[in-house]
Amino acid sequence: MSKALLIGALLVGTAVAAAPKAAHPDFSGTWERYPPPGEKADPRYAPTPIPDPPLKAQYRADREKQQKLLAERIEEGQPAGDNYVHCIPDGMPAMMMGMFPMEVFQRAGQINITQEAFSQTRRIYMNQKLPKWDEVDPSFYGASVGHWEGQTLVIETTGIKANVRFRWTPHSEAMKIIERIHLLAPDILQDQITVEDDYLEKPWTYSYSFRRMKDYKLQEYVCEDNREYVDEAGKVHLKIDK
Amino acid sequence: MKIERGLRLVFLSGAIALPVVPAGAHHSFAMFDNTRSITLHGNVTAFQWTNPHAYLELDADQGGGATKHYTLELTSPNMMSRLGWSSRTAKPGDMVTVIVAPLKDGQPGGLLLVLTLPSGKKMLPGVPNAERYKITS
Repeated sequence: MSKALLIGALLVGTAVAAAPKAAHPDFSGTWERYPPPGEKADPRYAPTPIPDPPLKAQYRADREKQQKLLAERIEEGQPAGDNYVHCIPDGMPAMMMGMFPMEVFQRAGQINITQEAFSQTRRIYMNQKLPKWDEVDPSFYGASVGHWEGQTLVIETTGIKANVRFRWTPHSEAMKIIERIHLLAPDILQDQITVEDDYLEKPWTYSYSFRRMKDYKLQEYVCEDNREYVDEAGKVHLKIDK
Repeated sequence: MKIERGLRLVFLSGAIALPVVPAGAHHSFAMFDNTRSITLHGNVTAFQWTNPHAYLELDADQGGGATKHYTLELTSPNMMSRLGWSSRTAKPGDMVTVIVAPLKDGQPGGLLLVLTLPSGKKMLPGVPNAERYKITS
């Protein structure tokens, strides 16, 4: 009899000891950029303004010249052509600005994030080692690995093509993007982005906020017919059906 | 992305968003005159539901039975569907009224600001910073 009690006690003890730890949060679902246009953000959840990239002097001058040219072009109603005119998507980190809704598919070993605009999907592989930048072929979305720190998803990305830029910011192929994603509230997600690169004097940090959408199904986006074209002088025109 | 044409073009990644960035930064919308509008009434010849922009083709009445063809640019169908549009909101043969920010270069086209359907219902396509487009017609 006492043996049975002992075994019983052990089993109960084991069951208690084996009680699962708090599960990682599940970010699965669709998210819209917060605040949406026309809505004032709750200050607790507002994104940070994005500062100018803290570029080193030799890169700053070039960017400022480009910004000046851009401003002049906009003044005359003729901005220089951009990637969208050519149906080229954002890449990383620009796709995280949340132009359109974003869908997160989360599994223990992999997390996919799809941005509806230009149907951009990035894949984050969990608990793997980040490859060295020169071990991967440069791409629009780079190579991403993730791990959990408590309730925060930490993602590291490298291997972004040099000509895939955010806010006209030049960068090396060794650029590394670190993201810390966590819930500020049950339906508010924050992505704190830090860009590290040799071209920068110090890390470039900003954050985006997203709000959970209920029952929204992501639409496709195929950049099928861009009637805008860029002429030799860099001016944008519209193709008119005669 | 550097496009190797005669002139180096500025890569505007991250600045050209619908609708969360300054209107001036959008690549195409600067082609349109935001200081005045024109109002057209006529027959829809096509309603193209494509990305990056939907297009409405219109034979606009010019009086005396004459018409002039206009190409009107809208926003992304993704955005428009969230504002109540569908690929069937307008169709060939519909008589509609449109308020348009005309092309600065004088070609018969523009940015559609307001569409009034045959039923009288008014539709807005979700132009970013729409309030910056002056309606004068």
